[in-house]
Order: sequence, then structure tokens, then C-alpha cells
Amino acid sequence: MRPAILLLVLSVLAAAPANAQFAFAPPAVDLTGEWGPRVYNTHMDIGDYTGMPLNEEGRLRAQSWHPDQLDLPENLCRPHPIDHGLRVSVSQLRITNELDADTRQPVGLRLHVWWQEPEQVIYMDGRPHPSPNAPHKWSGFSTGRWERNTLVYRTTHLKEAYLSRTGVPKSPKAEVTTRVHRYGNLLTMTFIIHDPLYLTQPYIRESSWILDPNQVIPPFPCEITPEGTIVPAFKVPSFLPGQNDVLQDFPTEYGIPFEAALGGAETLYPEYIKKMKTMKVAPRTTTTHYRRTQ
Amino acid sequence: MGRRVGLFAAAVTLALSASVDGQGRGGAQDAPPATPRAAAAFDMTGYWVSEVTEKWRYRMLVPDKGDYQMVPLNPEGRRVAEMWDPARDQATGEACRSYGAVGLLQVPGRLHITWQDDNTLRLDTDSGKQTRLFHFGGSPPANAEPSWQGSSAAIWGGGEPRDRRDGFGGPAQDPKGNLVVIPAQRKEADYLKVTTTRMRPGYSQKNGIPYSANALLEEYFDLFTDPYTKNTWLVLTQVVTDPQYLIEPLVMHAHFKKLPDASGWDPTECRADEPR
Repeated sequence: MRPAILLLVLSVLAAAPANAQFAFAPPAVDLTGEWGPRVYNTHMDIGDYTGMPLNEEGRLRAQSWHPDQLDLPENLCRPHPIDHGLRVSVSQLRITNELDADTRQPVGLRLHVWWQEPEQVIYMDGRPHPSPNAPHKWSGFSTGRWERNTLVYRTTHLKEAYLSRTGVPKSPKAEVTTRVHRYGNLLTMTFIIHDPLYLTQPYIRESSWILDPNQVIPPFPCEITPEGTIVPAFKVPSFLPGQNDVLQDFPTEYGIPFEAALGGAETLYPEYIKKMKTMKVAPRTTTTHYRRTQ
Repeated sequence: MGRRVGLFAAAVTLALSASVDGQGRGGAQDAPPATPRAAAAFDMTGYWVSEVTEKWRYRMLVPDKGDYQMVPLNPEGRRVAEMWDPARDQATGEACRSYGAVGLLQVPGRLHITWQDDNTLRLDTDSGKQTRLFHFGGSPPANAEPSWQGSSAAIWGGGEPRDRRDGFGGPAQDPKGNLVVIPAQRKEADYLKVTTTRMRPGYSQKNGIPYSANALLEEYFDLFTDPYTKNTWLVLTQVVTDPQYLIEPLVMHAHFKKLPDASGWDPTECRADEPR
């Protein structure tokens, strides 16, 4: 073949991958590296559902949660779902390129977080999401695309898990759309959580990391103790409806109307500040609750 | 003949590459936009309302004095925070301290964003009735007096030239050895960066968490439509650098939902002892 014709053929082939199945979307921005978290998440108190657009079902599930559930043997090494794991302390993050095991061609990005070591692969090669009946996992199944310089990825097939560290539930029907934006050495993720079972509207929250090339993420060994835990066998601690006797602690200690602490879409907007002035607030028992040991 | 085929091949390469990747806002050969307004990465104008999903008790209420969890204050910052006295601020005309540039967009409320002119984006708030001006195309006057909102320089960020490598470490080039310039090799601006200095000392949080006159505020605005409700959102990431009171930069976030009109606009004066 004459060189010029060969060049023509190669030229056409070079332009072809965008139309091919599973064509890899090359990165608009390099997100790979070690990222140190800036953790400012709240919702550390039982009964703190503030800012969450919960519906009645979600609230009921949250109120049945008992902190001793964390000590059930099956929960000792239970990771958070990746969208929550990326937010709770200490979410040191490593982002690497994901290569196909056979062809060694790039297919996406891999996220690794320290606590319980969740791994999330974001496929950028155009593959479809699996059947709704496919297994659900802690990190779900994610596909991404570039919107200009922003990585936007959608995660489905997440296991039932939590929205907060104090038992606010997220259903297996939930899906999460995440926007990842790099501003120089700052990385911001915006999580848009859609849960038709427990939320009345998408729940949006953000987290940021600082590029830290010297960060070393240690291993996170976790074993279930063979001798059991402090929770007696065959017992699942929980509160029956209306019997959670610690729900009042959070609003009382912070001077918040009890109703406001229960969350809901209305509570997210400025108008609610006026409404709270008309609500009853229990006499405060302390003004230094925030100084407690976490 | 062979030379002509070679040139044709190069032309096909460029054309196909452009058709595959050039879905954005124009190629490198396009004439540069005339003004920052015309070059806007997205349209921020209109009315917006805060949606408070995190740090709720710090934003929808006035937090307790001394509650500076999640703020990397140094000892001097903690000492000053412990001296917070809202009654004194109100009485001495300092009630706007928590409505300065650093804290303003953390205060729940509505925003009205307009173009004051082709080079200046204007942001008005109903909470505290404040106005911020984002100046494009150069720095604001260096001799401007410090103010609650300071002096803000703005750029559309993310449009830096993309590294043109050919996958083997060399510069991408055409058969003649010229550097190849195609739309895919130019990134597009997709966020607003605002850098603010010359602020009067104020509070990043309602309960007197201080920032100093030497603080540097860097803000990044992202705009998107969520796939579930089709609402349009403005997401703000703030980075406050202030060695006088912070051991490291403070990172904060806020987001706002686009509104169809001015309904709900509720102007309030600066109030030292109220959440908004």
C-alpha cells in the first residue's frame, strides 16, 4: 500500500473510536492523585435529621435506628456506601486510572478511600448499566462522562445503607449523580442523591479535598471478632415507633424546635427561619453540648 | 499525486477530529469573545434561593458562642471567637460583620444576579441587603477602601490550554510537523472564579468566627441542572486563607436553586443576633 493511502486509512481509523462501542472518553482534566480530605460533615448526633428532605418513611426508619446496631457482628466491618464513605472521617482519597485487565486500555477511573477501603470504578467507556436485578454493592455501578471539564458520573446498584452516621437510611432504589470539579489543587465533589423511597427531593451536598502528593493511605484491616460483641446473640437493637427515648436530646441541647430537627424539604429554605420562631423549643439543658468528646 | 493524497488525508483527520470533539463553544480559530459577558461559561443571572442541607444548625440558627467545630482556628482565632458579643456588634454599627464577603453566601436567603455592565457581574442579597461586584478583565482599584464585600476580581476558569501530547510524549503535529490545533485541544471555561481581598474584618459564621482584614477569599461557582428534577443549581466552593486566625485554609460550600422570579424576596437589615 502506498504511504499516502496508508496514511488516509490510519487517519480515518484514528478518528473512528468515538463511534465505536465502549469508546473511552479521554480525560478533560487529570483527576488522578492523592487527595487529602477537608471533612466538615455534620449529622453526628442521634436525632439530627436537619437539612435532609426526608419523607415519613425515611424518618420512621431513622427513628428506629439504635446505635448498638453498629456492634452487631455483621456490621463491624460494614463499609459505608461510596458516596457516604467519601464524606466521613477520614476519607483520604486516591484516584487512579482504571485499565482493562486484558487489553490494558483505559476504561475509566478508580476511587479508593481509606475507611473500610471502599473502591469505586467509574466506567468512562460507554458501557451500559447492568440489569436492575443485578447484585447491589457498597460502591454500586458507576458510569461517567465529561461535561466540559467536569466529571459527571451516575451510580446505581447501591446496597441499602445510610445517609448519615446516625442511622438515616438510604434505600437500594437510590441512585447518586456526582459532579467532580478540579479547581487547581482543590477537588470538589457535589453529590445529588435521589431516593424515591425515603426522600421527597434530591439531597445535595458537597465535599472537598486538597491535592496531597505525599499522602500515604494506610491499610484498613478489619476482622469480625470470633468471640462476638457486646450485643447478645440473636438480638437486633432497635426502637419501636414512638419509643425512641433519645430523639429529644439533640434538639433540646441545641435549642432547636423538635419538629425542625426531623428534617423535611420545608426546613431547607430561608422561610423556615421565620416559622421556627413560632415553634415551641424545650428548655435547654446545656449550651456547651458541642464540646463533648466525639 | 501522493502529496495531494497526503494533504487530503491530513484534512480528513482534522475534519473528523473536529466533528468528533468539537461540540463545544467553538474552536481555537474562532474570534475571541468580545466581553466577559459574551464569554460567560454559563448564565448565572436571575434569582436564586439558598438550600441548606449541611451545617444546618450553624446557618439556620445562630450557633452558640464558642461553637467552632469544623473550623481550623488557631489559638488567636479561638481567643477572638470567644469574645463574640452580638449585642455590642449591633450597638456599635458592626451588625454586618457576618454579612461580609466570606460569610454572606452562608447566610440563608435569596440572591439576584445581574450584569451591571459587560465586565461586571453584580450579586445582590436580600439577607443583609448586600451587593457584591465581580470585576472581570483586570483588578479592581488597588487603593479602594476596605469594605464588607471587599474587592473582587473574576475570571471564567477552566479554559487553560490543554497539554498537547500525542500519546508518546511528543507534541501533536500534522504530517508537516506543524503543531496541530483542533478544538479538542482547547479546554473550555466552565466555572467562575472570584478572588476577593480588601475586606473589613468580619465573621465566617454567625457566632463570631473571625476573619481578618488580610484574609484572601477564593470562590468557585459551578452551575448545573440536576437530572432528577431538572432544577438548575449554583454550587459554591469557598476557600478562605487567613494566617492571622486559621491554621490552614477554611473550605466551605453552599448551593442555590434557580427561581423563576423574585417571589419570596425578603430584604432584611444586617442583624447580629439573627440567622439572616
